[in-house]
Amino acid sequence: MSLEIKNLKKKFGERTVLDGISFIIPPGDILFILGTSGTGKSVLLKNIVGLLKPDGGEIWLDGEEISRLSEEDYFLIRKKCGMVFQHPALFDSLTILENVAFGLRRHYPNLTEEEIRTRVKKFLSLVNISDVEEKLPQQISYGMQKRVSLARTVAIEPKVLLFDEPTTGLDPVTTNAINQLIKNLSRTLKTTSIVVSHDMHCALDIADKIVVLDKGKVVEFGTPAELKKSKVKLVQDFLAEVH
Amino acid sequence: MSEHILKTPLVLKPFDFLGKNILAVSRALKSFGEYILDVVHALLTPPFRFKETVLQLNLIGVNSAPIILFSVSFAAAVTILEYAYHMKLVIQTTALVPGFAALLVLRELGAVITALLLTSRVGAGITAEVGTMQITEQIEALKLLSVEPVRYLVIPRFVATILSSMALVVFANAMCLLFSMLVSISYLGYSAESFISAMNHFASFKDFLLSIVKAAVFGGVIPLTSCFYGFNCKPGAEGVGTATTQSVVTNAVSIIILDFILTYLFSYLY
Amino acid sequence: MILKPLVGILDDIGGGLLFMWDLLKTAFRSPCERKTLLEQIYQVSMQSLVTTASSGFFVGAILSVQFNIQLKEFSALSVLGGLATSGTIRELGPLLIAFMLSGKVGAYTSAELGIMRVTEQIDAMRCLGTNPMQHLILPRFIGIIVSSFFLLLAGLLMSVLGGAVMAALVADMNLMEYISGIPTFVTWGSVLNGLFKCCMFSILLAAICTYKGYTTTGGAKGVGRTVIATALSTMVGIVLMDWFTSYLSRNLFSVIGVGSV
Repeated sequence: MSLEIKNLKKKFGERTVLDGISFIIPPGDILFILGTSGTGKSVLLKNIVGLLKPDGGEIWLDGEEISRLSEEDYFLIRKKCGMVFQHPALFDSLTILENVAFGLRRHYPNLTEEEIRTRVKKFLSLVNISDVEEKLPQQISYGMQKRVSLARTVAIEPKVLLFDEPTTGLDPVTTNAINQLIKNLSRTLKTTSIVVSHDMHCALDIADKIVVLDKGKVVEFGTPAELKKSKVKLVQDFLAEVH
Repeated sequence: MSEHILKTPLVLKPFDFLGKNILAVSRALKSFGEYILDVVHALLTPPFRFKETVLQLNLIGVNSAPIILFSVSFAAAVTILEYAYHMKLVIQTTALVPGFAALLVLRELGAVITALLLTSRVGAGITAEVGTMQITEQIEALKLLSVEPVRYLVIPRFVATILSSMALVVFANAMCLLFSMLVSISYLGYSAESFISAMNHFASFKDFLLSIVKAAVFGGVIPLTSCFYGFNCKPGAEGVGTATTQSVVTNAVSIIILDFILTYLFSYLY
Repeated sequence: MILKPLVGILDDIGGGLLFMWDLLKTAFRSPCERKTLLEQIYQVSMQSLVTTASSGFFVGAILSVQFNIQLKEFSALSVLGGLATSGTIRELGPLLIAFMLSGKVGAYTSAELGIMRVTEQIDAMRCLGTNPMQHLILPRFIGIIVSSFFLLLAGLLMSVLGGAVMAALVADMNLMEYISGIPTFVTWGSVLNGLFKCCMFSILLAAICTYKGYTTTGGAKGVGRTVIATALSTMVGIVLMDWFTSYLSRNLFSVIGVGSV
């Protein structure tokens, strides 16, 4: 499923966060969005799933303009377009099983309890987690919570996956595991993925395309190989981190 | 993990519950006791942070004054109106309203409502502030710089809240009396002079002084509990939220209970 | 200098009213599940019952002591029961107990919602195809109204008891004597007045804490700010609502003809 952003704009009061962003992702690609903190990367993702409404511009998902839809109509978009948050954002009063089943129950009302259970197990094993179904989110480690959160999003089988800083605040080992997971999930489920991150190293490793944002504008857009030859100062600063 | 722990037999459940709670309460009391000792120690030994205290006085006293005086005045006006209703029922006259109103304001309303408002305006603020410092490890940083957090954070707030509370009660009492006078004038047909002379008949300067004593006690309790909850804040947004909520509740309940005790004690003095 | 806070207050009131309008629309278009609602009512009532009941007891006790001092001068102790009870039920009881609830229920709920907001649980809910207004806010809103109302009632009943106990201790009054004096002064009008107040306080409390919690921003600090703002604005709101209901019931009940001033 392809996604195209055209001239997207978003302001908070007087502060312009997105100032005319445009890019396009072909189906099945992994796109990384890089940029320093506070350049509106998360805001961009939240605009795509309709958690925020843009002030201008268009968002085309699979040949349909979606940025002007009502909250009710977004229900269908969110089935096609899942988002993994920066926090694990697991519902702390529900067990792991219920957390992962949460979206399934809304989007697939015809599933029986048995089917939901097997699906939850399947998606938890996709993120390498087992035997914690009956625990509460507070009882498992932060890294595990992150992975459960991933499973919860992919369980509704979206065609587009959005990741908001999936590795921020994690140790290098877990970071690596999560990055590999993103890569494998995108390949096995054949989804289009957008990952917001600071991690240039991992972007060069698994991205098909990279967008670099600065002060609400796209300053560089291209494949990892193209990016390495970039003349933009910010991109060079990011690359310097890797070496 | 839970299946490895021996299950408590059903018969012993209540004892288990009781024991755990007693342990938790005594642990909390112990740490609160140690904390109070710290406060007393820091209060009695130099250095004192005068500048910070004055700053807090401005933050706590001056900045809360408008909202507190506004609310207290409204509360007083309503209470006096309701009071007049009782008077009519019991003694078929509103002649005693000024005196009784003044007594109620000075002995109860002024101090209690001011203190309850301070609980949320100031107490919750202190807990949120200290709690945020705790979870962002600023308190640890203070300790590393060999600054005692109690001396640095609690004492200025403690002193400032007591003084502010005492000052605020003076103004709150004045506003309450003014509003009960206005209500009496417009609803019960009093003139300003007749209200004041009727009021003087009942209320004495002692009532006014005792209300300041009450205010001082309430003003002392609020920062102590608030800071305590702040220091014991658990990490994350969840910790700050819980600590702040608990501090509001504990403060409000202790103010009501203390007020009961003080009212009972003062009843021998009036 | 004075303009800025004023604009902030107006902004809050406007935002709150829009939020309520949204909630009302949700309530009619897609009501919440009965099970979640009942769970909410149970939870809120259970966790606040002890606090409310005990503070109710002390409020009654305080007023009983005060009235006792004042009535002694007129040797009119026989009316203590009626007067203290009536005074508590009509005015100070609901006011002070509602103050307690503003901390126990209001601050708690806004902190809970605020935490869900800043840890992106509310956003996650929307992304998983659930309307948070319907599944999160609506049951809490109605739940708080219902359970606060019952809690206030429980507090008021306890305040009557507290008054009676203190009268027995301080004024050497027989419990039966005290209680038998109650119906003379506590008219149905007073009871209705008190219930009406409790009802309005509950609605106000529910509205403020759900709105404040739902619109939290800014991490752990933000949650702290939300709790402070909720506690303060519910207390001030309760005082204003107190005045408003007194004013309203004064005019309303005299029209219906239920005994009042």
